[in-house]
Amino acid sequence: MPRAFITGLGFITSIGNDSTVVEQSLRNLKHGFELYPAFDKPDIPCKVMGTVKGFFTDSADQEDWTYPKGYAFKRELMRTMAPHGLYAHCALTQAITDAKLTDLDVSNLNTGLYTSSGGSPMLTNYHHGRVEALGVMRCSPFGIVASIVGTLNFNLVAAFKIQGSSCGFSSACASSAHALGFAYDEITLGRQKRMFVVGAEDGNKDAILPFAGMRTLSLQTDPNIASRPFDGARDGFVGTGGATVLVIESEDEVIRRGVTPYCEVLGWGQASDGYNVAISHPEGAGLQVAMKHALHASKINPDQVDYINAHATSTLIGDISEVKAIKAVFPQASTKPWVSSTKALTGHGLSLAGAMESAFSALAIKKGFTPGSAHISKVDQACEGINILQKTEPVAPRIVMKNASGFGGANVSVIFKQV
Amino acid sequence: MADTSHASSVQKAPFIALAKPFSPEDEVALREALKRCSPSTFEAAIQFRKTGNPEHLPAVVIGVVERYVEPELRVKLKDAADDLRMIEDLGIDSLTMMEIVILVEDVLQMTINNEELRNLRTVGDVKAFIDCKVRGLPPPKPTKFLPIEHIASVMPIQPPFLFINEASVSSLGASGKYKISGQEFFLQGHFKDNPVMPASIMLEALGQLAVLYLLEGLVPEPGKAVSPNMIFFTGCEGVRAHRICKPGDILSLSIKPKRQKMPLATFEGMIRVGQEKAVIAEEITLTFGFVDAVVAPVENQATEGAQLSASSINPPLHAAVISS
Repeated sequence: MPRAFITGLGFITSIGNDSTVVEQSLRNLKHGFELYPAFDKPDIPCKVMGTVKGFFTDSADQEDWTYPKGYAFKRELMRTMAPHGLYAHCALTQAITDAKLTDLDVSNLNTGLYTSSGGSPMLTNYHHGRVEALGVMRCSPFGIVASIVGTLNFNLVAAFKIQGSSCGFSSACASSAHALGFAYDEITLGRQKRMFVVGAEDGNKDAILPFAGMRTLSLQTDPNIASRPFDGARDGFVGTGGATVLVIESEDEVIRRGVTPYCEVLGWGQASDGYNVAISHPEGAGLQVAMKHALHASKINPDQVDYINAHATSTLIGDISEVKAIKAVFPQASTKPWVSSTKALTGHGLSLAGAMESAFSALAIKKGFTPGSAHISKVDQACEGINILQKTEPVAPRIVMKNASGFGGANVSVIFKQV
Repeated sequence: MADTSHASSVQKAPFIALAKPFSPEDEVALREALKRCSPSTFEAAIQFRKTGNPEHLPAVVIGVVERYVEPELRVKLKDAADDLRMIEDLGIDSLTMMEIVILVEDVLQMTINNEELRNLRTVGDVKAFIDCKVRGLPPPKPTKFLPIEHIASVMPIQPPFLFINEASVSSLGASGKYKISGQEFFLQGHFKDNPVMPASIMLEALGQLAVLYLLEGLVPEPGKAVSPNMIFFTGCEGVRAHRICKPGDILSLSIKPKRQKMPLATFEGMIRVGQEKAVIAEEITLTFGFVDAVVAPVENQATEGAQLSASSINPPLHAAVISS
């Protein structure tokens, strides 16, 4: 069976804009939350956000944007981007450098790119507003490609001259885990030698605030306790944006290029709840099956898994569903594997989450630590029976499972192995 | 025969009536729209919006174009020659062109449709187009780019005495290029061991460009065409040579019609080498005459056109199938 490996990572996240800072944040359980100025209004009940630092993108005019030193963007390149396109472009640049890829390695028929993002509600609102106010012929010709779901792959494929497979995945908070799973398939089926997996989100007011309408956001005003998956006092998730890129390569390519991978992608599985449009199945039915499929595809037993990077977003219902599913799949769940949710530090990245947390898992395997689940003062009784790791351990997990669940009851589970 | 020059009739048109007075809110919106343009662009735009005087248009148009050109290419717009090409010289693609149009529409309060847009290939085209638009006149004939084959097929003058390699012609004037190859027969004697392009030949080259304009750019009387056999030189005024031109130099020729009254047409002409002025002719006058136009049957033309485009599309498609 052909194998696939993670050989490069790139991060623009609330807890760091490169892998060194991200690693430090995960080791020290340093969160990326702030009181978000755009939420500072009496009629907005939520106040905290996992903010992306070093950028200014809160303008519909790309020429107003600023970004950290070391990146360069021509107007021509930026004019078609959403904020998350800018983040992803930076993260992809990092990942290409990290994987030591040449221009030729990036642009050829055997290298593809899968993305996931929820599009750009901010730019959609802006351009639709102009259609209404000024008439359609006074609108930017770039309104569509900068804002609709798909803007991420349009922009990255063109900017990086990608010639292999490309498309976007849309299964809400499972999106970029799906992208990673199908990228793995693309390589193990021999269709591509290398895939970039990109997850990104604007993570601004327009992207996050609508979730307050669903009553799923934390209303905490203290950034230090707003996101606390598995804690008895959790009250919803904290939104975040940014971008993460993973480079997945075939074994032949790893050998040819002589690079040391972060880890191997062993296999993945997916299954759907078939239950509710927005609420997870109370027993985590779909997630149970997804995890079992992933274990089966990876040819490993549950007791071989050292660590689960949970989907747990800090919502009341979702966290419990996942705990029940883990208990159902792992007979010795009370002792092994370790379980933590890094969303306690980053916030919930929606379409970005699966890719971001898979990249955290790869980083943990290579750098030798297992990230803890922060901000727990008392574990929810309903979440008992699994081994929640509350402090980061300086131990490399050999096998990691990453879970992701999205609206409509889409569930994905991916397994990584130390090399 | 009234004058046929579009340019001269344009100058007699009155200012357009302003739709509504320019309000402080308009000024705020205008300042916002032009926030990335030079202050002089904003000043020109505000003057235009207040007075409707089209004299301010070139500054607005150049200012808007400049804002969308990559910084390193902006120097080309400093003494913007009208023959500066939007795509080739300024790196403006069709999407950027659309951005320019949207901003111009916004700033000048006008509407430009896609068909009109397609013909705007040079800075001069854009300026002339906006000018006509503001004055409520029909848009000028689009600039035609003529390769050497086309030039040689229409011109009464032939090699080795043809001094235009390529040209673009619109109803507002013509521009062209000629590279001094060093093989020109007269350079053997002009001068001894020191080949220098004769000023008289450079004047001849401008005259030839004016001939090309009469044949390809002039809008003739209905049913008439300019006869290539009836164009002759009559006189010139104010000719000055500023620069010695030698083999390897590329002469950038331009002429603009000043007056036309049958059978005379008067032009101003200029030759540059790069940014340097080489020759100026304040007036070059030619005589010309009309003959009856040969009317091609419309139906045949259409069929021929369809066949032509079909045959020109087919080979690449075929090639694409093979290569994939």
